[in-house]
Amino acid sequence: MLTKKHTNLLSQYQSGISSYDEVLDGQGKVKPHWNSLFEILEKIGVNELATRGEEIARKLRENGVTYNVYDSSGGLNRQWLLDPIPFLITQTEWNDIEKGLIQRATVLDLMLKDLYGPRNLIKDRIIPPELVYGNTGFFRQCCDIKFKSKHQLLVYAADIARGPDGRMWVLDNRTQAPSGSGYALENRSVLSRILPELAQEMYVNRLSPYFFNLQKSIFKLSSNQKDEPYVVYLTPGPHNETYFEHSYLASYLGCALVQGDDLLVRDGFVWLKSIEGLQRVDIIIRRVDDEFIDPLEFRVDSKLGIPGLLQVIRNGNVSVINPPGTSLLENNALMAFINNASKYLIGQDLILPSVATWWCGQAKELDFVLNNLEKLIIKKANRKQKYRSVFGRLLSINEREELKLKIRQSPHEFVAQEEVSLSTVPSFTGVGIEPRFAALRSFLVSDGEGYYVMKGGLTRSSAEKDKFVISGQYGGVSKDTWIVSDKPEDNQDKVVVNNDLLQKRNTVLPSRSAENLYWTGRYAERSLIVSRVINNLINSLNVQHNFGGLPKEDHIEILLKSLTHLTLTYPGFLEEKNCIDKKTRYKELSSLINQITRSGSVVFNVNCFLRAVISVRERWTIGTWRIIDLIENVQTKLKAQKGNIADEQKLLEKLNTRLFTFYGIVNETMTRDNGMLLFEAGKLVERSLALVSQIRSCACFKYDEGVEHEILESVLYNNHSLISYRSKYKSQVKIESFLDMIIFESKLPHSLVNLLDRLSECLDSLPQNSLSNRLNDAQKAILEAVALTKLSDVAELSAHDPKSGEREALENLLAKVCDNIIEVSASISIMYFSHAKSMNSLSGNSDENPLNEI
Amino acid sequence: MYNYGEYVSICHSLACLKPKNLSYQNCIEFKLVIDPVQSDMVSREDFFGNTLTYFSIQSPHKTLKVVSESLVEVFRRDFQHSLNNRITYEKTTHLFQNNFELRSELLQYMLPSDFVAWDDDIKAFASSSFDPKQPMYACVEALCRRIFTEFKFDPNHTTVNTPIRTILKEKRGVCQDFSHLAIACFRSMGLAARYVSGYLETMPPPGKPKLQGSDASHAWVSVFIPDFGWYDFDPTNNISPSERHITVAWGRDYADITPLKGIVFSSNIQKLKVEVDVIPINNLPRGKSIL
Repeated sequence: MLTKKHTNLLSQYQSGISSYDEVLDGQGKVKPHWNSLFEILEKIGVNELATRGEEIARKLRENGVTYNVYDSSGGLNRQWLLDPIPFLITQTEWNDIEKGLIQRATVLDLMLKDLYGPRNLIKDRIIPPELVYGNTGFFRQCCDIKFKSKHQLLVYAADIARGPDGRMWVLDNRTQAPSGSGYALENRSVLSRILPELAQEMYVNRLSPYFFNLQKSIFKLSSNQKDEPYVVYLTPGPHNETYFEHSYLASYLGCALVQGDDLLVRDGFVWLKSIEGLQRVDIIIRRVDDEFIDPLEFRVDSKLGIPGLLQVIRNGNVSVINPPGTSLLENNALMAFINNASKYLIGQDLILPSVATWWCGQAKELDFVLNNLEKLIIKKANRKQKYRSVFGRLLSINEREELKLKIRQSPHEFVAQEEVSLSTVPSFTGVGIEPRFAALRSFLVSDGEGYYVMKGGLTRSSAEKDKFVISGQYGGVSKDTWIVSDKPEDNQDKVVVNNDLLQKRNTVLPSRSAENLYWTGRYAERSLIVSRVINNLINSLNVQHNFGGLPKEDHIEILLKSLTHLTLTYPGFLEEKNCIDKKTRYKELSSLINQITRSGSVVFNVNCFLRAVISVRERWTIGTWRIIDLIENVQTKLKAQKGNIADEQKLLEKLNTRLFTFYGIVNETMTRDNGMLLFEAGKLVERSLALVSQIRSCACFKYDEGVEHEILESVLYNNHSLISYRSKYKSQVKIESFLDMIIFESKLPHSLVNLLDRLSECLDSLPQNSLSNRLNDAQKAILEAVALTKLSDVAELSAHDPKSGEREALENLLAKVCDNIIEVSASISIMYFSHAKSMNSLSGNSDENPLNEI
Repeated sequence: MYNYGEYVSICHSLACLKPKNLSYQNCIEFKLVIDPVQSDMVSREDFFGNTLTYFSIQSPHKTLKVVSESLVEVFRRDFQHSLNNRITYEKTTHLFQNNFELRSELLQYMLPSDFVAWDDDIKAFASSSFDPKQPMYACVEALCRRIFTEFKFDPNHTTVNTPIRTILKEKRGVCQDFSHLAIACFRSMGLAARYVSGYLETMPPPGKPKLQGSDASHAWVSVFIPDFGWYDFDPTNNISPSERHITVAWGRDYADITPLKGIVFSSNIQKLKVEVDVIPINNLPRGKSIL
């Protein structure tokens, strides 16, 4: 029933429909579930919807949801876009789609087994031999890879869309390492939080059972039935376009996110290098493509794989989801033969038809394609040839003839597909609701018996009206996908997590994560201290220049030089002209703030911090991620600065607060495990190095009392100790009391002994990796630093040579402590981090080697 | 033998070195000795029916030595049969186009592969040896003879990655290059051809010339002739392999049957040397191991 109120939105929408649309049924009437949704949308109103849309965008950004775009310089992260209006499919219709998807997965699985086995499909002329022997996804080394599970195709994704006859069509198969299920989950999580009222009066199926089934599948695959299987999620790394999803799913599934060189093959098993030692791996969920997975048996130049992996799989000691070799099924030409394969293998026609596909390797089909080029999309049979689909209708006459020639030259390489029309769905444009073309990626997982379909999926719609392009790589907006019914999901309780899965997990810290956490700590602290010191210096400069500072500028010069020492940005202020001239002072300071290419600058440090943070993104809570996003925001603004020192100062203050907030949230939310210890260790190493550097450059030389007061006060302030100092001494800052405070005051969180003691505790708590009771090198170095410091005498340290003014004892102590801390850092690196040597083929750089066979 | 110049802790390797058992060849014994001793060794039959041996070394080592010893009985091959086969080139390609069983069985040897791709120049080079009315074996021999006479054997001119185009242009190379070139020619003419790796007798019998390629692994080609089968030819020496050739493996090209490949974690790999000795034993002691 249409009420007056919502007639507007819905009728407005209807008037914009120019193709067949999801909202309308065959008779042109509005489908009831869309009607309900529009009623709710009407209540919310366009303005509010726009606000919520912005909230969604903000939430997604805060959660770090990105889709990296390859080839774009500088590793640009594309913001993930989510339409507030979901794509609705009724339970009744979905039941049929589900049947069709399950049937298709079953057929593909049987095809996979046959083509890597007896190849009856070829012998009985169901599939042309060219599509196997000329298929770049057919890997002969995979012919003896058989899992004990019922299915070889364990996960599968299909892109589907509605054709003009109202039926769903399959546009594409994804069989190696399908992406998107994590984005679907995140879309749901964000939409349900920001627009909860949308689902009123509807029951929306949940997505989580899909992931429970994945876990069930994992458990059944495990060769190691006694203990819980150890599962890793293998990613090509942070530069991959869907890296967000890898880390998101790894953390959702509770498994370690690893890269190829975190794993190694030894004693016939796959192991994860962790700081606790080697951890045996039972299951690998991979996002690395077939040809890169094992450089010994596939591409020898792959740096993403694990040499020897295939043999471990053959021995049955590890399972990989999906098994290597599954890219065979992604061949575009096979689409034309799946229906025949289905009839041959299970005696049924496909319930969900494939988009009409012609493989040009057959005479009749070739003829058809050449005569109908303008209506078709031309693709290469083998994917990954960097060949973008060509739309025949967009070609000029010359281009069309050229293409025909190419096709005639090697017809078996080409495939033509009907240019399908997709249905349109209501999409929010920011000011109204318009029809946009959409397609849905649905996800299936084998649970060991049958296939389970995610009740939902990832819908992508075209970004512009009347445009077909919807792929993630080239733009487009995603939508949540709702399978709706008017009664609650009845199978909700059926999914029970296997009790064994609830057993306590082995938690180990992969060496790569260890290294990144350590550097997260170091760079966070370095960014913090450098921005604080610079900010403070600008204040001092302003006072000196504008508010009648001291008659002499000695203290300013010392502090400027101290900054150069701290940031190791030589020559910097050690160059006389930079140090004396008022203008160049600001210029140099500004460069230390916003020069991204300058090692030691604030933005350089923050950049390193962000890189380390992103490499372990699966370890941060959403709350932490929100702060990281805020830090990234300041960073973007800082990078854009052109030398307006006042603006830069404001940003530095913001950065400081946000980094401290980062510390706070990490401290309140992070598990007290070895990862946290390494993060702390990194922070403490950096903080003590910075402190030592500042004392060395400011206090190791005797200056006039007034100067000394100014610079020591600055050091105290920079190290958060000025208030404590004043409450204790209530006097001008003098060297003895200064050293007593900044070096020896154990209760002060930024004093040297406090920092060294805490670092020492960290090192004692980390795994020792050795059976002996002896101290490791890091522990020895810190012990020496602590002992040297604590055994020193304040009076002795404060004494200076009356002639030269040098405080030799202080300098000697600090130099030694500095060496010790550097030694600590080096030992941590040797003990805990993976020192992946580059993998090399025995044939080496083959261009320099003579032939093997002559 | 490989020299790394620094300690390497793990090495994974695949060896394709075991001679095949064939109607004209019998591998009586085969032994693979690795130094340092491997921690793991598994042999399996690959897609083409060759024996592949996987091994890994887990103790730190600076050099890797792989010694493969085989005792092989080789018989003289009967060529009369091939000479009697009069099937023409024209007839052969017609069969390949129209006989589905034959085509699907041979297709992988007709399509381009990693090391074998061709262009118009290669096709033009090949086509002058293929007279449609000539018997197949004559065409094959004619092409191989041209490679033998027009190209110069030069062990220092090419690398594994030298493209066939370059070989054709510069007319220099070794057995691997000549074999890949020959295979590309055959496939460009619509024929099925495969790459064969193996060994050659080191010292020539009295009165016979020493063959090129006898001091290392050797390679030659095999072409499918209907009603006969796979017909071997050695373009590097311009002869039909017989009892002086020992067949180890065959595949689409070198990539399928690389004699030894491996992955080590090291920055520096120096390949020292490959040595092959094929010594004739005239009175084979039966039932007793001699390796």
